[in-house]
Parts: sequence; structure tokens; C-alpha cells
Amino acid sequence: MASSDWLDVVGWSESFSSWSMDNVHNILPSSDIDMQMTIPSTWAWQESITLGPIFNMQSGFASIQPALESFMHATIMCTVVFTTMMLTMLAIPYIERKFIGRLMDRLGATTTLRSLWVGESGVTAGEWWKQLPFGMGAPIGWAVKALNSTWGNSHELETIARVNNRSYHGYWFLLPGFFQAFADFMKFATKEHIVPKNADKVVFEVAPVIIIATTVMVFAFIPFGPHIYAANPELSLLFMMAIFGIAPLGVFFAGWASNNKYTLIGGMRSAAQLTAYEIPLLITVLGVAVLSGSFNIIEIVDFQMGQDQGNVWNIFLMPLGALLFLVTMIAEVERIPFDMPEAEAELVEGWWTEYGGIRWGLMFAAEYMRSYAACILFALFFLGGWEAPFQHTLSGLPVVGGVFTTVFSLIPGMIWVLLKAWLLFAVFVWIRASLHRVRTDQILEFGWRYLLPLSMLNLVIAVFLRLQFWTGEPWELWIPAAVTMVSAGLFVILAIDEDKEALEIQRRPYSTQAVVKASPGSHRE
Amino acid sequence: MAEMWISMGPQHPMTHGLWTLKVKVDGETVVDTEPDLGYIHRGVEKICEARDFTQITTYCDRLCYASANTWSHAYIYAAEDLLEVEVPERAEYIRLVAVELQRIASHLMWLGAYGPDIGNLSVMVWCLREREMMMDLLQELGGSRLHYNFPRIGGVKRDLPHGFAQRARAKLKLFLNRIQEYEALFDESTVFLLRSQGVGYAKPEEMINHGVSGPNLRAGGVNYDIRWAHPYSVYSELDWVPPVERSSIKGADCYDRYRVRVEEMRVSASLVLQALDKMPGGADTYHEPGDPMILAKAPTRAPEGTTGAHHFEDSRGESMFYIVGGGEGRGKQPYRVSIRSPMFITIPYAAKCMIGYKVADIPAIMGSFDPCIGETDR
Amino acid sequence: MGKIVSPDFQKAAAETLAVAASAIEGVDAEVAERSSGTSPRHVVVINALPDSWRTLAENLYSEHAVDYCSMVTGIHWPEGDEERKWEVVYHLMRTGVRDPPIEDGIVRPIIVNPSKLRGASIPLEIEIHVHIPDTTTPSVDSVQDIWIGADWNEKETWDLVGIDFDGHQGMRRVLQPHETPKGYHPLQKQHHLRYHGFQEMYDDVQGFMRKPADVGKIK
Repeated sequence: MASSDWLDVVGWSESFSSWSMDNVHNILPSSDIDMQMTIPSTWAWQESITLGPIFNMQSGFASIQPALESFMHATIMCTVVFTTMMLTMLAIPYIERKFIGRLMDRLGATTTLRSLWVGESGVTAGEWWKQLPFGMGAPIGWAVKALNSTWGNSHELETIARVNNRSYHGYWFLLPGFFQAFADFMKFATKEHIVPKNADKVVFEVAPVIIIATTVMVFAFIPFGPHIYAANPELSLLFMMAIFGIAPLGVFFAGWASNNKYTLIGGMRSAAQLTAYEIPLLITVLGVAVLSGSFNIIEIVDFQMGQDQGNVWNIFLMPLGALLFLVTMIAEVERIPFDMPEAEAELVEGWWTEYGGIRWGLMFAAEYMRSYAACILFALFFLGGWEAPFQHTLSGLPVVGGVFTTVFSLIPGMIWVLLKAWLLFAVFVWIRASLHRVRTDQILEFGWRYLLPLSMLNLVIAVFLRLQFWTGEPWELWIPAAVTMVSAGLFVILAIDEDKEALEIQRRPYSTQAVVKASPGSHRE
Repeated sequence: MAEMWISMGPQHPMTHGLWTLKVKVDGETVVDTEPDLGYIHRGVEKICEARDFTQITTYCDRLCYASANTWSHAYIYAAEDLLEVEVPERAEYIRLVAVELQRIASHLMWLGAYGPDIGNLSVMVWCLREREMMMDLLQELGGSRLHYNFPRIGGVKRDLPHGFAQRARAKLKLFLNRIQEYEALFDESTVFLLRSQGVGYAKPEEMINHGVSGPNLRAGGVNYDIRWAHPYSVYSELDWVPPVERSSIKGADCYDRYRVRVEEMRVSASLVLQALDKMPGGADTYHEPGDPMILAKAPTRAPEGTTGAHHFEDSRGESMFYIVGGGEGRGKQPYRVSIRSPMFITIPYAAKCMIGYKVADIPAIMGSFDPCIGETDR
Repeated sequence: MGKIVSPDFQKAAAETLAVAASAIEGVDAEVAERSSGTSPRHVVVINALPDSWRTLAENLYSEHAVDYCSMVTGIHWPEGDEERKWEVVYHLMRTGVRDPPIEDGIVRPIIVNPSKLRGASIPLEIEIHVHIPDTTTPSVDSVQDIWIGADWNEKETWDLVGIDFDGHQGMRRVLQPHETPKGYHPLQKQHHLRYHGFQEMYDDVQGFMRKPADVGKIK
């Protein structure tokens, strides 16, 4: 049984189109119109000539009505999906800006969290909870006091307050910094269009079109909810991956057409990198399709949700696949640590150096759109799409299950997809803030020599799981539990630092010979 | 793809200043380099021939703007050598505090610029945040945030302000804890190790022959520091050892140069703390400006025939001033001031180091040598 | 308290070097004591004729392990003695590091305790003055092949002062633009600074009081 919720935009659009077309049909006159026209004989010809057939408007319209209906439905759905995508994408640059700001401001993720209630010298980040309406923030204030008393800072140094203090300006009903994205877009839209003198004009103009068009087209196949999608062919996954992979061509065009050595290098790096990471990506996605038994994204989500199909999120069955998907997607959307093609330190802006104005703005937006698509796809493939966490378990509880069922039925599935996607984007941002840029040849080596075999292994595991252990019933609980435990164990083992002595001999960290340790403060040994 | 010359600069995010690096690449491999300096040549040496000795100090601050105190002190020591002035001991301690704090600030600026070169943008904000702490301390000493004009011929301009020692100790304590954050972000990151180890090897014998000194040389296993080889100020009174990296036989790579500077920050912090403890007269007593404890009377004329020279350990290497007396105003102005900038010598060497590596290694290598173009072009 | 080079041994090493250098014809060396901070420094000051400079340089490099060229300064003395119209001052150093011990492919840092240094491994500062008699084309032998550190120093000296270096490969303008006219070397004394004092600069910011003789001046 396919999953469903009340936000049935596809259904509404379909019924609206057929209703409106039916109305048009009924309005049209139903009588035959004689379109025959006779030209009387003149001195030029002798007989009368008849033009035109007999034409019935209503039946003529009825013959094209299905086409019109589907066209109207498609237009509506495309508009709705595009608007949804753009509006929800506003959260993405917001998350990026704010989270990076927090990470740069403080120690890291833990202290970013901690900065919500603590500041130096008793100065917090502006006591933001007081700005919530109806005094909702009072319990937060008590929690902050309690947290501050246990894990707060001492108030010794007033001077540090100046460095670490952050204020939190904004209206309570609008998140501060919300309109930055609009302002940026306005600025890009009003800038002059400059083409380099010896650039290949046709290719120069075509390249952004390719990049942006293919990126937006990807969203046609991504379902935001069980009934919010622009197109849902049976092989939607394949279509989408195919279109996703056209953008590297546009990148290469852009780098080559700008008549600039920097962009040429950037474009070639990008082409090499994206090609290298397409293949593990596609094999990983193939693994997902194998495990879920379908190439249709909605069916993949249903498989993870369904009572009679899988009922376990794919991430617990294929943690390796999820990790591979994450890494290859970060490389595909050219974010740090894989953003060498646009590395500012060497290539100024890389393959898009010579673009300005709206072309650059849209390509920049396209990069975020691709990240957003990657996040949503991860949520759909691995995190159960529009299923709330523990939805079936909670709904099945003895007493409170009914409450949960009601709550879950009120919340449209799209909300869950978005929340998961935004959370994953926060992980992207976290990775960006912490890691350095990997060099191109190291990226390529990593992709071809490590990720490709791992993705093949992942495919083998997926096939094995599907053939051996799946019986058409939901997964038995021990299978995902075993897979998850083994993977977590491997991760912990691999993440532990190696033998310090072995590191010393290779002259690895901390080999400096400062005999006198600076004091106070502990010196890493 | 054929070989082609790429011009990085003069406006380029990599270059840490205004200069051009022309690079000949064969695909992604660097085949030849040619640095092009002189974009901000301001003619300081010529200007100094028409300035009194006390007026020159302000010019020397602006030689390397990231590390202003070390340059003005380098000049002051050479001027004191020329004019044969005895500096009171307390003034030497105060100078040491100023110079070492400036060294920490300069290295933090370097680290804050090196992170983004390699791709890590967070560390820039962190380092600038700590540098603000150091600049606050230096502002208390010198009066402004970037160019202090702090030393005087014969001593220092002002004594340590009230409560300076307590604030400095607290800030340095916090700073030493924060260094561990930087190390966590760099040393424990495989990506950083991938980018910086095995890249930009520089052999110590070559470095010495080329005239490279300072942290770049100490990264190669050569324990040579002007502060102990030709000791000046009160470095001989304090307990410290310059940090040296045990490099491999192939030479010092970017990682070694990074490690040396991080350890130098620690050593500088310990020097400041020791100096505050050992200051004659105590760190909390305050003497008025002009008090003989902090400023000795110095002659203002240098007769013809006198010369003064002093080697100084700047944040980037060995800087040196050579002053010939007997200029205009019957000796009130120097006849010739000659400035040795470590980076002027190191940048061509660093450009040679890049040959054979990839284009992507250029910012990693250049950043690890810590260029500052202000002192290069003078 | 800290470990520093012992001043007495440094003085002894300086005197050894001075005596050996004076043995070369045309070279006159002595040890000067300069003070800075708490301990005195001993510097070997050498006066050499332009003809014996190259011999002296090779001797210092090979016999006395002077391995580091710090600075090359050129000075123009239009009102000096006949033999001293131009002067080139070299500052060289002996870092005292040679053949560091290598174990397991890792270079051990040397000179862990500098107070134990003796003899030829003591770091030394050396200052060499080469006087050039009156001429419009002053030149000195280049030591670019001995110390590569002298390479850019010599380029800068020629660029700013005008002293040529025989045998220098790739002489070019380094601090001034490449298109600077031939023969323009700003640190020569006939080029006067426009603003000798602060007052002139601030009183006439836009240059209305500039004299007709200033027309055509490069700077």
C-alpha cells in the first residue's frame, strides 16, 4: 500500500485541471459549425470550391482535452514544486551562514550548542529566548540558568567578553538574517553582464544555461511528499541521476569558454573530479535500488515505510552505502573538502571566475540547489523520506498510540522530508567548517582507488541482503541491528588513533623538540 | 596540454600581499617560477636619510605591518649600537615582552591566513580572535593596534600599565589552551596532513646558503636562532630553547614549518611569562615616562665615520639594520640606512621550492613560508 | 641562566678568523666589540680592496665555514676620499652548523647546548667593507656562486645604488619597475628627497610651490 497523507497536491492539481477542462468543454457550443465556404465561380474558374470541413467545437475540444489536462496539471505541479523548492531552499543559505558563524565563533559543535546558554563573563548570545512571543521562552530561561550553573564559565576576564560576545538582532517573528538571501539575489540580478573579450561567446552563454537547467530539472523528479512531485515515471531514479550528471559538462564549458588559464584549469579539475565521483555515486544508488526493489523514488520510500515491505530505514541496512552517498555527493556538489575546482587560494574563483551578475548568481544558487537535492535524496533514500522517526512503533503503542497516529496524520509528510534534509545540510556545513581542501590528484586517487571498490562492495552487500534475507515481509529486526552494530564497530576501530610510537618514527605530529614546555597549560605530548 | 605561464598576482587571494608569482605549468605540475616584487617599494631607505633617528622608528613599524614591534626594535638596537647607548635592564625586559607578544600575534596572523590557503576557513576566525587578545595587550603597551612606535633609543616609551601583568597572564593562559584547539583542527585532520606533508621540501644546507633563517630554517632541524647565537636583550637571562623540528633527510616540508611556528607561539608565551616574573622592579610598579629605569639619555648625533649594525630575530627570520652615521644636520640624520628583510631573500627560495609540485601546492608552500610583502619591498 | 654562546669563546673565534683573514693580501681585519643587552658581541670587521674581495670570499667560505650571506649594502660617498667614493658592505655570518647528525633518516637538531660550542662551530658575525675609488661605473666581483643568498641582495644593490657586480647572472631590477630608465639609481646622493622635512610636505600638499626645475624629474 503506497503511503499517503492529506497534502495531496498531485491529486488536487489533477482534479483541478480536469474540472477546469470539463468546464471549458461544457461552455463550448455543441452544435456543428459548418465551416464550408463556397467561392462562387468567377471568370477565373468555373465551378464553386468548397473550403473547410464541418467542425464541432465541443468534440474537437474533447479530442485534445486529455492532452490539455495533463499539460495544465504538469504546469501546475512544476510551478508548485519549483516554488516549494525555492522557498524551502531559503533555509539552506540561512543554515550555512548561521551555523558556520557559530562554528567559527566558538570551539566547535559542542560549544556551538553550549553558546546557546553560555557566554563569557555572564554575557550570553543576547538572551534570545526572551524574544519569543507570549513569554514562551521563560522555561528556556530557567533551563539556561541551570545549565549555566553547572557548565557555564567563570566570570574572570571581562576582556574576553569583548571578543566573544555576540548579539542577536532581529524581530521575533522573522528570523534574523532572513532577508539576506533576497538582498543577495537582487544584487546579482542588477549587475552588468560582462563577457571576456576573446571568450567563445556561444559556449560562454550556453554553459550557465546547462548547469542551471539541469539542476532545476532534477527537482522535477524529487518527491517532496507522497503526493508532491512534478513527474513520477517508473524509472525516476535513473532519469534523475542522468540529468544530475549533465552539469559537469556545463562546468567544463564554462571553464573553457572564458579564455582564462585559471578557469581552464578549474574546469578541467572539475570535470575530472565530477567524473571520478559519478561512478561510485551511481553504483551506490544502484545498491539502494536493489535493496528497495525499485527504480522509482516513491516506491523506495514506500519500501522503507511500508508495513508489508521493509519497514526499516535503509541507513540501518546499508550504513556503508549511506556514508558513500554522503561523500560522493559532497564531491559532486563541490563543497569543501572537495571544492578544489573553485578554490579561492589558487584559482580565485575557479571555473566561474569570469562570470558576473545573474549568471554567477544562478550558478551559485545552482550549487546550493545541488546540495539541497543531495540532502533531500539522502533523506529519501536512507532516512525513510516522509516517515516520522519510529512512526509505526509509536502508533502501535497501547495507550498513546492513538494520539500519535492523529498527530502524524496531521503533519504532512513533506515536513519530515524537509527536516531531515535540513539536518543533513547542517552536517554538510559542519564538515565544511572543519576540514581542509583536498588536492585534486588526491581527490581523484581517493575516488578511483577507494570509493569505487567500496561502492562495489556495497552493491554486493545490497544484493546479498535482498536475495538472502528478504522474503517480502518486513525485515526481521536482527538483520539491520547486526549490520548497524558491525558497521559502528568498524567505524570505531578505524577511527582510533594509531600507535604513537609508529607515528613518531614517521615524523608525524608532535615531533617538535621544544624541551622547555610553556607554562601554564598542558602541552600535548 | 602544453606548458604555459600563469601569472598569480599581483591581485590574488593566495599571495598574502602585493607581488606576482609567474608560474610555468605543464598540466598541473609546476615547471618553473619567477617571482616579481617591488609593487609596494616605498623607498624607506632613502626616506630615512632625511629623518632624525627618533623619527625613523615610525617608518620601521610599517615595514612589516603584521609584525610591527619586531621591526621597530630591530632598528632601535642598531641605532643604539650606532650611538653607543646603554639601555637599563627593566627597559630590556619590557622590550622583550613587547617583541614576544608581537611574535605571537604575527604567527597567529600567519596561521589564520594559512588555514584558508589550505581550505579551512574556520581557523581564520579563531586565530584572529586570539590575535585580538594579543593586540589588546599591545595596545595597552603602545597605544595603537598595529603600529606602536613603542621603543625609544635608550629604552621604551612607557612602562607597563597598571594591571598589565595580571591581564597578560590571564590572556596567555587562555591562549595556551586555545592553541590546543588549533592543533586539534590541524594535526588531527588527515586532510591537512595530506596537503602539507611531503610538500615543499627544503634542505637545510640549501636554506643556509640561500640566506633563509628563522622558523623556516628551524623547521629543517637546524637549531639556529639569533636570540641565542648572537644574544641581545635579556634572552640569555631566561630559560628557553628555540623550537626545532626534526625533519627528515629530504628536508623540511610544510608540515614542519607549521609545527615550528605553533611551538614558537608556546615558547614566546613562556618567555613573556618569565619576563613578567623576573622584571627588575617588579611587573606591577609603574615608572613615569622618561624615568631612568626605563629610558636612558641618548645622544642624538652620530658623527661621521660611525656605523651601527644589529642582527635581530624577526618573526620571519633574521632581520638586520645597518646604519651609517654622519648625515645631514651635522649628524642628526643617518647617512645611509640599510635594511635586511628575511622575506626578500626567502621568497625567491620559496619560489624555487615549488618546482616539481602541483599547482594546488603553491598556496600551501608559499603560505608555509609566511611571506610579508611590506618588509620585502620596503 | 639560559644556554647561550659563551662570549669569551666567541671573542677567541673572532680573533682567529681576523688573523687568518689579514693574511690575505689587501685585507685588513680586526675584532670590534659591540654591546647589546646584557652580553657583548664580537664582530670581525674587515676592510678589503676590490681586487682581493673574491679571494677573501672564497677563503672565508671554504676555510672558515662562513656559510650565510646576510646583506649586501651599497653606499655612495660623493664627498668621501678618493679611494672611497663607493662602498660595498657585506654582512656575513657563520651559523656554525655543518653536517648535522642524521639517525634513521631523521635530521637531529644540532647545537642543543650552545654554551659548549668552541672554535670553528661558534656563530660569528663578519662585516666586510670594500671601498671602490672614484669612477662612474663602480663594480665589484659577484659572489653569487658562493652564497646564493647574495643573489637578490646584489640585484637590489645594483637596482637602488648602481654598483655593478661582475659575473652576476640575471641582473635585473627587483624593487623598481622593470621599465625604470637605465642609469636611474635612486639611492645615489645626487637624487634629493623632495620633502626633507615634514613641514614642506604638509604645507604644500598639492605641489603648487614646486619649482620649474622639478619638471621632468622622475619622482
